[in-house]
Amino acid sequence: MSSVDYGEKFYSWLDERVGISGLIKVAEKKEVPVHKQSMWYYMGGIAMVLLAIQGLTGILLMVYYVPEISSAHSSVLFINTQIDFGWFVRSLHSWAANILIFILFVHMFSAYFMKAYRKPREITWFSGMALLVICFAFGFTGYLLPWDEIAFFATKIGLDIAAKTPFIGATLADMLRGGSEIGQGTISRFFLIHVILLPIALVAVAGIHLLLVQLHGMSEPESFKKAKKKKYEKFVPDFLVKDFMVWLFFFNIVAAVVALFPWGLGPEADPFAPAPAGIKPEWYFLAMFQFLKLLPPHIGPFEGEILGLMFFGVLALILLVAPIVDTGKNKFISKCFDIYGILFTIGFLGFTVWGILD
Amino acid sequence: MNYPVWSIPGIGGSWLVGLISVIHVFLSHFAVGGGIFFAVTEWLAYKRGDERIYHYLKKHSKFFLLATTVAGAVTGVGIWFSISLVSPDGTGTLIQNYTLGWATEYLFFLTEIATIFVYYYTWDKISKELHLSLARWYAVLSVFTLVIINGILSFMLTPGNWVESKLWYEGFFNPTYWPSLFIRLFVMMAIAGMYSLVTSARIKNKDYQDLKVKEKDPEDKNQGDFRAYMLKYSSKWFFPVFILGPIFGFWFFSQVPGNVLDNIFNGIQASGVGNFSILARAIYLSLILSGTILIFAYIGPYLNPKGFSFIAALAFMVCGLGVTAISEWSREMLRKPYVIYGYMYSNGIKVSEVDKINQDGFLAHSKWQPAEDESSGEFIFKQQCMKCHTENGYRSMTRLLGERDKDTIKGFLTLMHETDVEKNSYLKIMPPFVGTEAEIDMLADYLSTLNHKKS
Repeated sequence: MSSVDYGEKFYSWLDERVGISGLIKVAEKKEVPVHKQSMWYYMGGIAMVLLAIQGLTGILLMVYYVPEISSAHSSVLFINTQIDFGWFVRSLHSWAANILIFILFVHMFSAYFMKAYRKPREITWFSGMALLVICFAFGFTGYLLPWDEIAFFATKIGLDIAAKTPFIGATLADMLRGGSEIGQGTISRFFLIHVILLPIALVAVAGIHLLLVQLHGMSEPESFKKAKKKKYEKFVPDFLVKDFMVWLFFFNIVAAVVALFPWGLGPEADPFAPAPAGIKPEWYFLAMFQFLKLLPPHIGPFEGEILGLMFFGVLALILLVAPIVDTGKNKFISKCFDIYGILFTIGFLGFTVWGILD
Repeated sequence: MNYPVWSIPGIGGSWLVGLISVIHVFLSHFAVGGGIFFAVTEWLAYKRGDERIYHYLKKHSKFFLLATTVAGAVTGVGIWFSISLVSPDGTGTLIQNYTLGWATEYLFFLTEIATIFVYYYTWDKISKELHLSLARWYAVLSVFTLVIINGILSFMLTPGNWVESKLWYEGFFNPTYWPSLFIRLFVMMAIAGMYSLVTSARIKNKDYQDLKVKEKDPEDKNQGDFRAYMLKYSSKWFFPVFILGPIFGFWFFSQVPGNVLDNIFNGIQASGVGNFSILARAIYLSLILSGTILIFAYIGPYLNPKGFSFIAALAFMVCGLGVTAISEWSREMLRKPYVIYGYMYSNGIKVSEVDKINQDGFLAHSKWQPAEDESSGEFIFKQQCMKCHTENGYRSMTRLLGERDKDTIKGFLTLMHETDVEKNSYLKIMPPFVGTEAEIDMLADYLSTLNHKKS
């Protein structure tokens, strides 16, 4: 019997149990619009690959990482200096996390400006926003785990700011810290959130997000919808092959950054030492941080930082409700959301660059 | 020591040479691999009477001619200019040792250039048989330029018995000569495929549909889609390096000195700034990029040539350029702390002269500042350190010195003065400080002005 027969036999065995031919039929039917903005379709796939890298490298790091206050820093140092390829895995985890956040921003804004949040993709948009928040939470909780000086003080400042959120802030910050000070309780909580709670939430929300993307297909921009001649390409194999090549190419960019600029480790955190000068949070929180720094301690009867946090809340809320308000029926509203998106992007980039240079 | 120093602020001399060299290597490898590509592909066109391939080759050869003879030649001369200014002692040794080799190389190069011009300008003007002979002749000539330059390049890393015997052929046919020759040959073929992907991706089938084909390729499954056919054909040029490259790579590394391998393996574990792990990191990156090119080539133009775009071909080029840059840089780094392994340090000081200079003093042996004065410390820095370091740019001394004061710097230089690797582990990657104790003091005095720690 030839090997082809074995293959066919295995296929029919699998088909009877999983219904694989049905899936293939669906995949073959799927088409991707081809237009000038097609490149943005790749962002979701890149984010998915980066998330997979995070999962894999995270599991490997957990083999040696010890979430205990006197061992956390030394265990990361051990990974960086004693384990073969340890530095590579850790650098990959840290760099891919940052690049992932960047790609998520690009993905979100490309969907926003292409009005991909409109009917019937409202829930896809909401789930995408939820994924962004989950990834922020991954970043915030993961940042503390190496327990070095910068991580400690950046987390401290971050939690102090979060504590000022009206009504729930102080309680939430205390819960996260495991008391009034950052210590063992905080590491334990952050570790648990980082490796158990957030991954569960991520898988659930990402599952919904992906399912909806498959259900509704790729969103078509207005200019494409109005075009006389519409060009489509098959998802399998044409787009998928290109998708795969883009992933590979992107992985190489990440690998290049990892190899040329491996992620370092600062001195072990000393809670009793003064905060080092010029301490800053991760780049994706930098715009908010820089903005809050500008605010006076009090604006009228209110505390400056509280007003700042409320302002951020409103900004995020406008993005969130875009599918509900901008349904495409009113051109003026649609234009307003375009302008809002541009201003938001310029503001975010401007404050981030300012924060880096400051 | 024997020549004045050419100071390049910011990037330093080594990066300048590196940048020119990487571009040149990518083009010169194309010149050799492309020669083989023309010979094989034109033979296929001749054998099958395929006018489409002829038409394609005609267009491709224009691109080839411009890329190799203009950009390739300019960067080639650029290398000579830059290395003779940045590393005059090393360049001088190579010229003196291989005068005849260089002359022969030049002869082959000149004939090669002349042939490619004749090749390009005789399309449709001479018989097909004669034109095919030109392609084969060009391939042979270009391979011979590699045969010679490979001996000199590999000599710098593994001069072998030459260090004792000084017999040119022992240096030329050194331990890494053969593996290096074959690896380069396979890489050149892959680079030829890479360039061919770019030109093939630009093919418009309607320009080729009326061209005759006497005998169809029995393996062509693209049913008249010539663009897809050429893309698939180009991708096959990647496979020799991926199938045979690892074998010759293993052979190559088995021949390099043990210290070099130690430097690589030390880097497998650690990644901290200041240790030597950059070599290991660079090699990993090169392997990752190479793996990507292989997968790209297989799932892209080989399996799905119809969906392979021009942008993807350019992405290939970026990866290829990346691998070339990293591999060449790693090869240069492998030699550290020497410019010619075991014979001459990267700052141009010969190993055999170290004891004598330590005894007489560095300034006493220097042709450009034999007398001691206020600038002697800076002079010693420029001569002994600036081949690899800059004051504030690449491998910045100011950054590396950190908060060290003059006494600490002096202590460090005294350690670096040791020529026993057991006592001075920096010898694995940096030349020893050569000179007297008074000269250590002069250099420490100057270095402490860089980080403003002069007491």
